[in-house]
Amino acid sequence: MTVIDQHNVHISGAGPRPMMLAHGFGCDQNMWRFVAPAFEEDFRVIQFDLIGAGGSDLSAYDPEKYSRLEGYAEDVVELAEALGVRDGVFVGHSVSAMIGLLAIRKAPHLFSDLVMVGPSPRYIDDEAAGYVGGFSAAQIEELLDFLDQNHMGWSQAMAPTIMDNADRPELAEELTNSFCRTDPDIAKRFARATFTSDNRADLAGFETRTLILQCAEDVIAPQAVGQYLHRVLPNSELVLMEATGHCPNLSAPDETIRAIRAFV
Amino acid sequence: MSESSPGGIGGAAADLEDLFENAPCGYLIADPSGRILRANGALATWLERKPEDLVGRRFSDLLNIAGKIYYETHFAPLLKMQGFFNEVALDLARPGQAPLPVLVNAVERRAAEDGQPFIRITLFNASDRRRYERELLEARRAAEDAAAQLQALNQTLEARVAEEVAERMQAEEAVRQLQKLEAVGQLTGGVAHDFNNLLTVILGGLETISRQLDADPGPEKLQRIARAVAMATHGAQRAATLTARLLAFARRQPLDPKPVDAGRLITGLADLLERTLGETVTLETVSGAGLWMTSVDPAELENALVNLAVNARDAMPGGGRLTLETSNAYLDEAYVDDIPEPVPAGQYVQITVSDTGTGMDAETAQRVFEPFFTTKAVGKGTGLGLSQVYGFVRQSGGHVRLYSEPGVGTSVKLYLPRMTGPVGETVQVKPEAPVHGGSETILVVEDHEDLRTYAAGVLRELGYRVLEAGDGRGALAVLQSQNDIDLLFTDVVMPAGLDGRQLADEALRRRPGIKVLYTTGYTRNAIVHNGRLDPGVQLIGKPFTFQELARKVRAVLDA
Repeated sequence: MTVIDQHNVHISGAGPRPMMLAHGFGCDQNMWRFVAPAFEEDFRVIQFDLIGAGGSDLSAYDPEKYSRLEGYAEDVVELAEALGVRDGVFVGHSVSAMIGLLAIRKAPHLFSDLVMVGPSPRYIDDEAAGYVGGFSAAQIEELLDFLDQNHMGWSQAMAPTIMDNADRPELAEELTNSFCRTDPDIAKRFARATFTSDNRADLAGFETRTLILQCAEDVIAPQAVGQYLHRVLPNSELVLMEATGHCPNLSAPDETIRAIRAFV
Repeated sequence: MSESSPGGIGGAAADLEDLFENAPCGYLIADPSGRILRANGALATWLERKPEDLVGRRFSDLLNIAGKIYYETHFAPLLKMQGFFNEVALDLARPGQAPLPVLVNAVERRAAEDGQPFIRITLFNASDRRRYERELLEARRAAEDAAAQLQALNQTLEARVAEEVAERMQAEEAVRQLQKLEAVGQLTGGVAHDFNNLLTVILGGLETISRQLDADPGPEKLQRIARAVAMATHGAQRAATLTARLLAFARRQPLDPKPVDAGRLITGLADLLERTLGETVTLETVSGAGLWMTSVDPAELENALVNLAVNARDAMPGGGRLTLETSNAYLDEAYVDDIPEPVPAGQYVQITVSDTGTGMDAETAQRVFEPFFTTKAVGKGTGLGLSQVYGFVRQSGGHVRLYSEPGVGTSVKLYLPRMTGPVGETVQVKPEAPVHGGSETILVVEDHEDLRTYAAGVLRELGYRVLEAGDGRGALAVLQSQNDIDLLFTDVVMPAGLDGRQLADEALRRRPGIKVLYTTGYTRNAIVHNGRLDPGVQLIGKPFTFQELARKVRAVLDA
């Protein structure tokens, strides 16, 4: 199975320049379903699932490799190389914004523009450094404890095969929230990798043109984080969106499209 | 719809309002970003707030931290993508209290007036369900643990069984080695015993001759020399016969079938069997008339009969009778159909070996032919005796049947196929030597006739008057009729239920003051240890010389 198959890659659009859309912590490439079509005219739009998410090859999930965001960044590089991406646009939502940054640090020739949607280099506050991430260490600990309890109602909402309704299989697919399929154990590990990450050190000297899309009232990545990133990344542009929440690509696709289009 | 219509007792609008506020579940109406526009009373009660206090807050703010994160990253997107989500288990945060587990359903709606989207959220109290889930998870975990433990136990058990089996096999091998040594020891002991007796006779005869040759032998002395020569010769011949039997017994070779007359073979074997059985077991042979010939390896048949005799002897520790019986037999179809091994119906020579021993129960009887099965104490039997019998008979095309009654005895029947052909050879058994009288009063009790003759001869030559008895009962009869016996000279182990010790006790009772001298060639039973002789009792071991006996008898009489 090639790296392309493993990532459940979907390519659309007629444009010459590649635009790679990466979903973040939560769901899969469906997160881009309202945004992707807008770029198909000008770009070769590449959508994929991170290993462990959506339709990716779950057997390729290596807990050791994916315990750090670098593991996902290596995949992005490998995937982009396999797809012949050069000087493309990388659009990363949520944790994938940092994954994209790490990938570009590894292989700068792949992408000349980086769009970060709701990014955060570190989710936990760092009082000593005067850094606001939005979560206390205790809160993230509580999250991870909660996930470790692994109670059924939780995983049932997202697990790939919940309702084994032999009579009406189509019902099972619909009721199991098929847009957001996640293996409970992998989801747990992905949450740990995401919310314990600290990539602030990787920001220094990052020269690639970067657009930071910061939503209002984003509990996952508050405005202070967007401002921090904008401050640290010299070649960055910060757009404060009207959209609220963590997923403007779904809640405000038009605003998102406009901002990205203006940038590229 | 009027307010008095049956649709609403309190009025339709009031009923709906009541339902919204007080139905046992939480209701929320929120804008597309999740900001609460309206919350019902039930939810406010759960959270210990007023409904209006919840308005303006975002739904995810009501959740614990994990719920908040997952709502923002998973369930809000889900709602956007598919317009609803169902039965999502979340926890409502409650200040100062444990979180309240709820099941959340959400659906996107559009307002009737302006078509603006909004969200309806329904929350069920899922405390019980969460508890069941937790119990179920715990039960599953416990079951998995138990299964894992069981598996581990199984593996350990298998390893332990293998280890035990290996140890057991090693132990059995060691026991087998011991048993071999024991068997060799028993055989050696038995042979030594017999040879002691025979050598006593031979040496005694030769000594007598040499003594007679000291002076010029007159006709009387020559006659005595001739008798001694005959006695020694006879002893030597008996020794030669015994040696031949031993060699036959020891032979281990492929079966060499020959025409055999089982009756004659048994007659020829009687000597060896008597020795095998010891003096407390009486041997009886019954041969049917017109016995058919069979074709078997005679040495192996003898071996089988000796093995059976050994078993019989061991089953009769207090003495008894062993009967060897031969007859013609016909095994019919019904009989052979009923036995597990393939045996053709037809004519057989039947040899029955019966004892009057302890017998055995059905379970034991079923297993006696198994190799290494033994009921004897460790070191007392090889467990191979009956399996040799079975193997030999089966190899000869025959059949073995064992009958046993606990407390009554055991009977083993060998069926050997009849053969028609030339007659086999026979074995001659020579009669025992005659007895002589003398001059002093000593009662010699010895079942071994040659020995008794020899001993009596020595004592007579020494000038004693000698009375003789072949067993305890005979000795009692002599004691009864003769009241001037000074010395009882008796063998320890004797047949017919009265041994040397019992005889001596009886003699002392009847004739207090009578001297007693024991003799025995039987060391294997450790007679002294068995308590049959008191310490200080006078004993002369076999074989003894003229001089030794003369000195011992003198000493005992003078004591």
